[in-house]
Amino acid sequence: MLRGVSMSINDGERVALIGESGAGKSTLISVLQHRYAADTAFVPQDLGLVGNLSVFHNIYMGALQRHSMAHNVLNLVWPRPSEIARVRPIAEQLGLGDKLFSKVGELSGGQQQRTAICRAIHQGGPALLGDEPVSANDQHQSRVIMDAITTSFDTVVLAMHDVELALEYSTRIIGIKDQNIAIDVAADQVTRADLDFLYMK
Amino acid sequence: MKKITIFISALAIFIGIASMAPKAAVAETFVFTAIPDQDESKLIERFGKVAAYLAKELGVETKYIPVKSYAAAVTAFRNNQVQLAWFGGLSGVRARSLVEGSKAIAQGAEDPAFETYIIAHSSTGLNASDSFPMGIKGKTFTFGSKGSTSGRLMPEYYIRNELGGSPDNVFSKVGFSGNHSKTIALVQSGAYQVGAVNFQVWIDELKDGKIDESKVSVIWKTPPYPDYQWSIRGDVDKTFGAGFTERVTKALLSMSDPDLLASFPRSSFIPASNADYQPILDVAKQIKLID
Amino acid sequence: MLRVSGLFVVVALGCLLIADVHITTLDPWSELQRMALGFATPDFSAVGDIGWVLVRTVAFAFCGVALGAVGGFVLSQFFHVGPVRWVCAFIRAIHELFWALIFLQMFGLTPLTGVLAIAIPYAGICAKVYAETLEEADLRASKVLAPGADMVSAFLYARLPTVWVHIKNYTSYRFECGLRSSAVLGFVGLPTLGFYLETAFSEGHYSEAAALMIMFYILIASLRYWMRVRLIGLYALIAPFLLGGGVEIQMTNIVRFFTVDIVPSPLRGHDVFAAGVLPDFAGWLWMMLSDMALPGIVATLILTQIALVGTGMLALMMFPLISDKFLGRFGRSIGHGVLVVIRSTPEFILAYIFLQLWGPSMLPAIVALSLHNGAIIGHLIGRFSNQLVLRPDHATGINLYAFEILPRIYGQFLAYLFYRWEVIMRETAILGILGIATLGFFIDSALSEIRLDRAMFLIVVTAILNIGIDILSRRIRGRLHLSDTAQQLKK
Repeated sequence: MLRGVSMSINDGERVALIGESGAGKSTLISVLQHRYAADTAFVPQDLGLVGNLSVFHNIYMGALQRHSMAHNVLNLVWPRPSEIARVRPIAEQLGLGDKLFSKVGELSGGQQQRTAICRAIHQGGPALLGDEPVSANDQHQSRVIMDAITTSFDTVVLAMHDVELALEYSTRIIGIKDQNIAIDVAADQVTRADLDFLYMK
Repeated sequence: MKKITIFISALAIFIGIASMAPKAAVAETFVFTAIPDQDESKLIERFGKVAAYLAKELGVETKYIPVKSYAAAVTAFRNNQVQLAWFGGLSGVRARSLVEGSKAIAQGAEDPAFETYIIAHSSTGLNASDSFPMGIKGKTFTFGSKGSTSGRLMPEYYIRNELGGSPDNVFSKVGFSGNHSKTIALVQSGAYQVGAVNFQVWIDELKDGKIDESKVSVIWKTPPYPDYQWSIRGDVDKTFGAGFTERVTKALLSMSDPDLLASFPRSSFIPASNADYQPILDVAKQIKLID
Repeated sequence: MLRVSGLFVVVALGCLLIADVHITTLDPWSELQRMALGFATPDFSAVGDIGWVLVRTVAFAFCGVALGAVGGFVLSQFFHVGPVRWVCAFIRAIHELFWALIFLQMFGLTPLTGVLAIAIPYAGICAKVYAETLEEADLRASKVLAPGADMVSAFLYARLPTVWVHIKNYTSYRFECGLRSSAVLGFVGLPTLGFYLETAFSEGHYSEAAALMIMFYILIASLRYWMRVRLIGLYALIAPFLLGGGVEIQMTNIVRFFTVDIVPSPLRGHDVFAAGVLPDFAGWLWMMLSDMALPGIVATLILTQIALVGTGMLALMMFPLISDKFLGRFGRSIGHGVLVVIRSTPEFILAYIFLQLWGPSMLPAIVALSLHNGAIIGHLIGRFSNQLVLRPDHATGINLYAFEILPRIYGQFLAYLFYRWEVIMRETAILGILGIATLGFFIDSALSEIRLDRAMFLIVVTAILNIGIDILSRRIRGRLHLSDTAQQLKK
């Protein structure tokens, strides 16, 4: 558990939580998620996808709250063209255009991860919370995802294991060690080497 | 997903069932049934002809509906889902006791003197006799249907009287074969040693060569008793017009087409009244089949 | 697990000592020969509209199961409410045939009678299984949904699909059961297969009976080819119109059923507190208990316990017939055929055949029930065994069976068997031809005497006994950590 952590995140910040696995990043993310559930989209580590449904339906799920029950039910049985038109560009942006009607359960780990991100983007809102949202994708895909995330959300808080990527895309770095905040600095004030201590025993 | 299909399905089913549910009857149809006492597969054909005959004689739409058991025939009569029925002695008495004002109107010429045959497998060593065969005590025994007059009520009455106990007590095993044909088959194969069967069915099957008399034979015939009859509900005059009961009675009694009569099989129909069946009612009460 | 199995075997052996299984064979062969001849020369022309008979059988099954599944689904959403659970337990504890007989009294021979007779007990069963399945649903997707989505949409998108496969498999399994139920309802007069089968069979028209049975086997065996989720909507649209007509439903009959028929006869039309009424009622109750309910319960339990163990033994013997661990493709297809034939032949026909062979005793009933249910469970565990993955160097033959397969399927097997326990008990009802005085025998007698008060009393006693078995079976399954029903029915 985290001990006596207090922090504030301002609108427009892009925060990366880094640290060893087990340091407490996920705990912090879920605390934040509970507190800000009302206006943040969320990509948990387990992704929260429904394997039996298509990529389209999983992405659409981010927008259930915007439509009437009847519309949702109808769209489940018979995908509405208007909804496909909204979902398709998001999926294409992350390279899932040709998988739109594949079952999520049949996709690779990286594709599933991107589906979860698409869902968050489709949900929209001012902020995104994500727990290792790019871990299963290669360097190139990770950058595509990070680009998409940063253009879609004002405020972003991500737990990340790739320090380089964190430095590249964040405005603020929070390092976590032993269940506590060990460092909290602007991203352009630190180098990779400055953060190595987080990963030392 | 598929959920909606299920909802639509449910809706369709409800509508479907609702559409089958009762509609206010425009023109009343006169419906009758018959107890399924023998070759049921031919009953529909047989009573279809009777329905056509009655429709012509009565000038109302007439329909026969088949039922699967004696009890179902009684229930349909009681529930006014049929207004006329060809009952056995016991089922008739039961039905009329449940429907106020209903009456027996016609019976076959043979029905005032109906009989039950007690049949036995040859291995029992029992032979035909004029007096009740006391030797059946302790054997395995099968009745026909639980609601049958000839296959249940009358044989049980004589068994209780002569052997001084309920069938459960005087036989080593008691079964209910369900119908007369099965009773004969079960005794012939020796599955049951002794059985009780409608004498007409026995005679018919003997004629058809279905019985091997070296294996199964009649060992006793009950004294005659009244059995089958046509019974009609008391409220038909109200529904179908005054005098309807009499017209139905007349139509039945004047049935002379040998083809129609042969299907029962009866030589002709003669008048009947509820009082004719008092002996059956008494027996049924005595062995507690009717309260 | 072995200790519990052993205990059940000991109980069954004890019951066998009390039970009458005396064989009295004389010469069954002439009748059996006629049956064999009939079955060798099926006569498809004898039943005028054999096609329509099958269509109607399917239509009743479809409407009944669909209504039962939807009703069960709705009930499963409230399954955490105690009274809902009790109602479900009660309605599923009564056999379809008895529901049909009750509705016959109220509605008469109408399609509604048949559809409700299937739908009501099935709703109770489905509610339980669906509720247990949904409890195991994966909730990860539900947790990330944006707040504000309505409950129905959230359920349909995030929760239901995670268990959809189990629900679908279970429902299609119920549909096969529904087909059997629908066929059997013909015995009490609904226009399904059983109507003609019972007639043909009891009149000794075995060629005709054979034709009907063969059509029914084909119907069951081909189920997976025509029962598709995609086609459900279409079937639902047409099935209600294929049920055939019926008599008019009259409100007075329904009212009379509740206010007169099922009221114990000493109380009927009397002031409860009038002199002599209560003692009469006490006498009636005592008579019902001592003459019917108690002897009925004893006979039912004895027969059930023996048949349960018989079912288990036969299932273990029969499942290799459809298991890819033991047989090749060709052998399995024959095995499938054998199991379809055994499990789709109504028990009363099996019982009649054995009655001819062995004479009247509990033996024909035991064997008929064990075969029928053994083939059903054999089918289920055979299918389960096909999912097992074996080492490449596994043993073969009897060693494979005893050391590799049996230990792995045993838990599953017991789970199915305990689940079937109450079903076997319900089925002991329909063996009146043998004169075995189970509760069902007394209910049948009461109904044939139009004594609905007695019938209703005994039906309630049967239901309570069933609920008792259900609770006991759940306790045992829980203690043995056997997966519950939802788990078992995964394909």
